[in-house]
Amino acid sequence: MSSKINHHHHHHRFNTQIFPPPCPHLAEFRARNGSKPFRALQDCLRVKPPGGRAAIRRDPSEVPRCGACGESARPRLYACLACAAISCHAPPGPSHAAAHATSMPPGHEIAVDVDRAEIFCCACRDQVYDRDFDAAVVLSQTATLKSATIQSAKPENLRKRRRVDYRPWSPDIRDRVLMETGSSPLENGSDLPRGLRGLNNLGNTCFMNSVLQALLHTPPLRNYFLSDRHNRYYCKKKNGVSNSNAGGKRNVGTADGHGNKNARLCLACDMDAMFSAVFSGDRTPYSPAKFLYSWWQHASNLASYEQQDAHEFFISMLDGIHENVEKDRHKPHSQGHGDCCIAHRVFSGILRSDVMCMACGFTSTTYDPCVDISLDLEPHQGGSSKSVSTKTHHSCNGEAGVSQTMSIRKLPLVSCFHIKRFEHSSIRKMSRKVDRYLQFPFSLDMTPYLSSSILRNRFGNRIFPFDGDEPDASNEMSSEFELFAVVTHTGKLDAGHYVTYLRLSNQWYKCDDAWVTQVNENIVRAAQGYMMFYVQKMLYYKASENRAVS
Amino acid sequence: RNSVNRPPTPDAAEDLGKEPMFQEIINIKLIESGEKERLMELLRERLIECGWKDEMKALCRAFIKKKGRNDVTVDDLVRVITPKGRASIPDYIKAELLQRIRAYLVQAAV
Repeated sequence: MSSKINHHHHHHRFNTQIFPPPCPHLAEFRARNGSKPFRALQDCLRVKPPGGRAAIRRDPSEVPRCGACGESARPRLYACLACAAISCHAPPGPSHAAAHATSMPPGHEIAVDVDRAEIFCCACRDQVYDRDFDAAVVLSQTATLKSATIQSAKPENLRKRRRVDYRPWSPDIRDRVLMETGSSPLENGSDLPRGLRGLNNLGNTCFMNSVLQALLHTPPLRNYFLSDRHNRYYCKKKNGVSNSNAGGKRNVGTADGHGNKNARLCLACDMDAMFSAVFSGDRTPYSPAKFLYSWWQHASNLASYEQQDAHEFFISMLDGIHENVEKDRHKPHSQGHGDCCIAHRVFSGILRSDVMCMACGFTSTTYDPCVDISLDLEPHQGGSSKSVSTKTHHSCNGEAGVSQTMSIRKLPLVSCFHIKRFEHSSIRKMSRKVDRYLQFPFSLDMTPYLSSSILRNRFGNRIFPFDGDEPDASNEMSSEFELFAVVTHTGKLDAGHYVTYLRLSNQWYKCDDAWVTQVNENIVRAAQGYMMFYVQKMLYYKASENRAVS
Repeated sequence: RNSVNRPPTPDAAEDLGKEPMFQEIINIKLIESGEKERLMELLRERLIECGWKDEMKALCRAFIKKKGRNDVTVDDLVRVITPKGRASIPDYIKAELLQRIRAYLVQAAV
C-alpha cells in the first residue's frame, strides 16, 4: 500500500506565512525540471468566468478522461505533470493515478487535479503545495493586465499599530491615601448592575437618550471614560490655556473668533461628566442637558425640539468627539486604524471593495474606513456582494459590466449595524418607514465577511500571500461578537419613539427614557431593531455573565 | 460446439471500444454545455448556506487533531468524511439538483 512519508516537524516561513515543506518527490521534480512545467501549465489554466475557479484543460472544450479506464465522471482526475496523461483517483477503488506513478520511470509522481488546479503526489497519495505553482494559478485568476495592482497595493492608511511596552505599576503610600480619600465604596446590596440609570426626556430627545444608553454601556468606551482617560477638568484647563489671548487670561466664553468659541466645546468632556453621573450609584433619572446643549452647538442644523434620527445623532456624536482631536497636531487624523480618537478606536473598521470588470478581469481594490454598517431591508436596493451595476470598464471595451465585492478588511472593536428603516425619497418627495421585522442574533461570527475569507473562497487552497497579508491571527481570534445593546423604534416616521435594550450580566433591561425595567430576552428578540451594537467577544467578559456566583 | 466460437468475456480495462452508457452520454452533454459547472456552483452555494461545508470542516479538524497534523493525507480525510457527508446532505438540495438536471434533459432532448 502507500507509504506514509514522515514530514518534517518544522515548517518554512515565507513572508511570515507558514507553508508545508515539499514531499521528496516534489522536491526531486523541482530539482530536475525547475518551474518550467508550471509555467507551461499556465497555458492550460482555464478560468471562467473571470475571477472564478481555475481548471486545467488542454483546450477549452476538452472532456478529460482517465487514460486507463476511460471514465470521465470520476470525482478526481489527475494530469501527470511529466507526460500529461490523465488518470483517475477514487479511493477506496483502484487508483489509476498511483498506478501511473509506479508503472512509469521515476519523475511521473507529481500530478495536477484537473478540476481544482491543485497539485498532488501520486506516490505519497497526498496534496502538496508549491509556491510557484500557486502563484501561477492566482495570477491567472486575478487579471491579465495590471495584476500587480492586487499584489502590491497596500492601503496608505493601513499601518502596523504602535505597541507600547508594558510597564508594571503599583501605588505608593501617597497614591494609596489619595485613592482612599477620593473614593467611596460601591453599594453591594443592590440587585441592579452598576451604571443603570434612566435619562430624562428633555423634549423629544428619546433619539439621543437611546443612543446614549447604548454608548454608556459600550464596554471599551465605558472603560475609557471610567478609567479617567479623558479628564474633563484637565481638558478644560488645557483648552482654556491654549486658546487664550496673549495676556494669558481665560476666555469667558464669548466668541472671540471661530476657534475660541469651540475651545469650550468638548463633547468628550460632557461624556465624561455623564459617565461619572450614571455610574455614581445614584439611581434617580439623569438629565443630559449639558450634553444636549453641547451637541446642539456642534450640530447646529439639528438643534431643535423636533424628533431627530437616532442614527444621524450617533454619527454626529462620533464626529463631534473626533473633531476635538483636530486641534491636537500630534495625533493622526485618518480614521482608518482608529488611533485618532476614542470614538474611532472603538467603532472604526475598514471595508474593502473589489470592483472587477466582467470582461477582462481587471480588478480595482479600494479601502474605506467605516464606523458602522448600514443594511437595506428591501432587496431591490442592491445590497450583498456581487451586485452588478450599469458601470462598465471602458478601457477594455468590455460590455459585460462590472461586479463589486465588499468585504471587511479590519473589524472594529464594536460593530454597529444600522437598519435602513427610514426612506426619504427626494424624487417622490415623501418619506416612509419600513416596519418589516428583522431577526437578529445574540452572537455573531463575522469570519465569513472578512476579506481573507472572501479571497480564500475565490482562490481555493493556495499558499500564495494576498496583499502582503500576514495570517492575521488577531482577526481570527476576534471575529466573534456578542450583542449588548439594541435601539428600537416604534410608531410612525414622524410620530415614533426610541427605546434601548441593554444586555448586562446576561440580563436584558429596557431603557425607556427615565424608566429602566428588567425584561425577558424574548421581548428583545421580538422588538423592531433599528441599531444593533455588537462587541468583540473577548471584550465581553464571560465572568460577568453569572452574577450570582460573583 | 458453441463454446468454441463464443468470443472471450471482455476485460473491463480494455473496454475502450464499448458503446458509451447512457450515464456517460448525459455526463458529456452536461460538461459540453457548461451545465455541469453551473450545477456544481449551485451545489457549492447550497452546501455552504446550509452549514454542510462547516460540518465537514469540523469533522476534518477533529480527525487531524486526533491523528496528528503530519500524519494525515487528503485521502484519509475524504475517507473519513464521505459516509457522514453523503448521509447529511439535506433532501431539499438533492431535490433541487434533480429538478435542475431533469429540466436540462428535457430541453436537451428536443
